[in-house]
Amino acid sequence: MTDGLQQVKDWILKRHPERDDIPNDLDLIENRLIDSLSFVEFVFLLEQHSGRTIEMETLEVDSLRTLDAIEAAFFLAEVK
Amino acid sequence: MPAHPTAQGGGPGWANLGMDIVSVKRVRRLLDDHGEDFFQRMLNPGELDDCRTSSGLDLLSLCGRIAAKEAAFKTLRVRGRFLPWRDIVVRRSDGGWPLVELRRTAAEMAAESGIQDITVSISHDVDYAVAVAAPVLGDPRHRP
Repeated sequence: MTDGLQQVKDWILKRHPERDDIPNDLDLIENRLIDSLSFVEFVFLLEQHSGRTIEMETLEVDSLRTLDAIEAAFFLAEVK
Repeated sequence: MPAHPTAQGGGPGWANLGMDIVSVKRVRRLLDDHGEDFFQRMLNPGELDDCRTSSGLDLLSLCGRIAAKEAAFKTLRVRGRFLPWRDIVVRRSDGGWPLVELRRTAAEMAAESGIQDITVSISHDVDYAVAVAAPVLGDPRHRP
């Protein structure tokens, strides 16, 4: 797991103290770990840790659905 | 089941309502943690101005505006997309009631769902703001 993704995971866990861990393939939306209000803050966090600007209006849910998807979309993707 | 259910899915006269509730506590934490500029990610300058009083940003107005955007979005019945916050604009009319304007991505979503316009009502009391929205079905090209 990249450092950036670990910080994202820690951020989610801090807001959901009832959870001990988040499996990388857990659906964050279906399990209500991210909702529309926290999504805005979540994108803000992703921008800070990935160093990339994210266009919220065109963002697909699937790119944020799991930690694996987030890592692939924002922390592993090659910057050309 | 269609991948992108339309507003008319239930037959003539059918309309999907949207509703949302926003906690003042959550929005206050966002304001405390990130400052007022953070809300520019969700609201346009005019919307933020509508939420100001002589003493600064009014939290209940802000929560109401956020709830209205979410409620309006829910009427669109869009799958696989997040709320395009700044493309659903909720402004205060001269009469004081909220008016919804759909721009760019939100306007495209509405057109795909056969929605011409959205009407919304907001209420708040102490700790929470709620909003309910109803779509106006029709061809978006004929928006009044």
